[in-house]
Amino acid sequence: MKSFFRKVGFGIGLDEKLPTDPLKWAQSQLDNVEPFTWKGSIPSEKEMRKKFGEFIYGDRKILRKKYKNDKNKYEGEKNKLRHKTGQKFFENNELTIRHNEAINGKSPVFERFWHFWGNHFAISEKDYLAEYSTGPYQREIIRPNMVNTFEQMVKDVSTSWCMIHHLDNSESVGPLSKWGIKSRETINENHARELLELHTISPQARYSQEDVIQMTYVMTGWQHKWDRKRLESGDIWFNYEMHQPNEKIILGKTYAPDGKRELYNVIKDLVNHPNCKKFIATKLCRHFITDNPTKDMINPIVKTWEKTDGFLPEIHKTVVKTALDHSTTSKFQQPETWALQIVRMFGLYWISKPDRMKYDFKKKPTDSQREIEWMLEELGHLPYRPAQPNGWSDFEEDWISPELIIRRLIFASKMANRGLIRDDNIIRAIIRRNFNKPEKIYKLLDSQKDYKNKLAIVCNSPDMLKA
Amino acid sequence: MNCTRRNFLIGGSASVFLTGINFSSKALGQNKKNLIVISLRGGMDGLTAVPVIGDKNLKKKRKKLILEETLKLNSDFALHPKLHTFHDLWKNDQATFVHATSIPYTGRSHFDGQNLMESGGKIPYKEKTGWLGRGMMATNQIGEGLALTLPLPLLLRGVPLNDNYYPAKGSLPSKTVLETLSSSYKENGEINLQMIMDIIQKRPLSMMLAGKGGRNHRSLAKETAKLLNLNNGPSVAVFDLDGFDTHAAQGSNYGRHADHLKEINDIVEELRKNLGDSFNHTLILTLTEFGRTIKQNGGNGTEHGWGSAILMAGGLLKKAQVHTDWPGLKNKDLFEGRDLRSTLDSRAVYLSAMAVCFNTDPEKLRRNVFWKEQLPDLTSTLFTS
Repeated sequence: MKSFFRKVGFGIGLDEKLPTDPLKWAQSQLDNVEPFTWKGSIPSEKEMRKKFGEFIYGDRKILRKKYKNDKNKYEGEKNKLRHKTGQKFFENNELTIRHNEAINGKSPVFERFWHFWGNHFAISEKDYLAEYSTGPYQREIIRPNMVNTFEQMVKDVSTSWCMIHHLDNSESVGPLSKWGIKSRETINENHARELLELHTISPQARYSQEDVIQMTYVMTGWQHKWDRKRLESGDIWFNYEMHQPNEKIILGKTYAPDGKRELYNVIKDLVNHPNCKKFIATKLCRHFITDNPTKDMINPIVKTWEKTDGFLPEIHKTVVKTALDHSTTSKFQQPETWALQIVRMFGLYWISKPDRMKYDFKKKPTDSQREIEWMLEELGHLPYRPAQPNGWSDFEEDWISPELIIRRLIFASKMANRGLIRDDNIIRAIIRRNFNKPEKIYKLLDSQKDYKNKLAIVCNSPDMLKA
Repeated sequence: MNCTRRNFLIGGSASVFLTGINFSSKALGQNKKNLIVISLRGGMDGLTAVPVIGDKNLKKKRKKLILEETLKLNSDFALHPKLHTFHDLWKNDQATFVHATSIPYTGRSHFDGQNLMESGGKIPYKEKTGWLGRGMMATNQIGEGLALTLPLPLLLRGVPLNDNYYPAKGSLPSKTVLETLSSSYKENGEINLQMIMDIIQKRPLSMMLAGKGGRNHRSLAKETAKLLNLNNGPSVAVFDLDGFDTHAAQGSNYGRHADHLKEINDIVEELRKNLGDSFNHTLILTLTEFGRTIKQNGGNGTEHGWGSAILMAGGLLKKAQVHTDWPGLKNKDLFEGRDLRSTLDSRAVYLSAMAVCFNTDPEKLRRNVFWKEQLPDLTSTLFTS
């Protein structure tokens, strides 16, 4: 049962009170969005988009022209522009905000769900999004919606600058729209296809290519405002002149022309589609409970969904309850989660102090300002940089290979130098609070003398790799 | 009986796999044959890599994406200039292109498609192993696979003891940690973890020391060539490239798709240079989930399509040729009015490539890897044995 603290959270640290009612402990964290406790800078999505805009404008419109015959000078000036816009700094700042909450926050279970949704609506590595915008998107679009309905979350994600830019929807023009007729431009299916496939109903709903095209028509017109100075970094608006007129038919249902509301009308039906509920419930179980969720795990979640109209806090509570009911079923932990569990349980040093995270925008960030990013890169799991829009895998086999296990061994032995209390009694006490069968792990702990080896062996034990 | 370093040393739980009689090349004292697969994720545009020459339909449908310069292959096809190493090899009968080919999946989802290009099946996520892993298993090539990625790709799953290589920073904890963990995994029934720990323990030190800077495609290819050239090294390697999903600003001679084609070329160039004579006993081929639409889209990119091309290089090829049953690019010829039609199940190429590299009967692989599906035998058309 104690593994439950890791299954839905990051484990219980030595200074924390051990919850007497684990279910209540977990469920009580899910009703509210706690404000971030990070004392350093938390820039807004809009501010960060401005920085992105400054970078692309400065690079494309100024530097490339000015130094077109001097490649070295161009590279030098571009680096200055990178620093001026914080390109090498902000991703680490975002990871710091995220991890501070996971390690020091009062609602670790809420944080785990935040990580889940951020990965469900993933922004993959593309066009400097991870450098400037993915973190703010996670904070401002995903996080506040965790106390809303799934429908609201899908609406906000689908009309967010970050997702629209990521999946090229600004490039999509209705061929029969005013602009489409004039310019002969046409649609881009990328966003519409992923809205169906990854975000809502999944291919199991058996939609056709024509459905994808019709969905794309519905989405035409949702785009960034473009201007000469800001290029593609402007706010999202609905451009009626690019919107495909006429009715659309998706999955057999006809949608009357309704301008920007068309997208909302379709989303309403998508989130109520049986495949959507099943798909999302399965993904939640797969993330928290097991690679192969069973019907008795999935059904209660679908039921809550139906009862509450997809109200996320209630869905999350059912997930947590189901996870507790199946607490002996263990789930292989993704590298970032595993690393944060190590840090929280053993009380290790991980994030810089706010004053050390101050950045001067003149030279490249210090090594300590980039450390989290580098450590996670080594573990093969930078949360804001999945290679593809389907995000990071939840299957154990995608996280097991000689190289990936080597990284975990190296990581855990390095972590012993980050404030580990070198006292076996204390380490035993930590293990006792977080594992179902502590004796097995004591044995491993005792097999080593050196604390680097002790931490490496405990953290890579089968019980710690899984929860 | 072949006793490569790895399967000689593993013993224990995996020894059961060593009982079969192995007709691999090593056992017969022949030259070791290498099979190298490069996965191209996102949907490689076969018509940018290997454009058809002088087709009016293509020119009309993708105005912004037509290459201004190409390397000529024959009267019908040319090559993207970024693939110049393939062009050099072509002159020596060491490059072949299979065109208008794809896996039999037409659903246009990346993720279902990538799953199927690796599993070789027809229903997404149904198979838990890859066609390459099953092919290796069927021919007893245990401990022969190497992935140049952090995770082990699905493609290689299905045969135990594959290794991967992607140099780490830092040093491993002491030997006793690894030994103790290995037995702890065993006690807990964590067979996969135990096998991985055994591989880690047996790694040559050189694989642990590559350090920073060793992770770009060229360095990985160089190191791969070194490992393949070891007498008891692996004989199958898998690279993974992504970024081929160019919905916007695809480019032509230069641009996004061109940059990614260059990565393929870099890998092949390094392999050729560093494999030396063993390049003559090597086959390199590409794999992608689908091709891209003929028509450019609203963002000067292309959408998900069907037919694409397979790029092949190496001394095991029969001759310089573009092997295709060309379907044409007129509207009526296109699949669903938009995609290059696939006229050849690309799994036939992979089946035949494995048969040649693993010295085995294609029939055996058809049975053990592809569920007895009717895939044509292309061994004598495409390869030398």
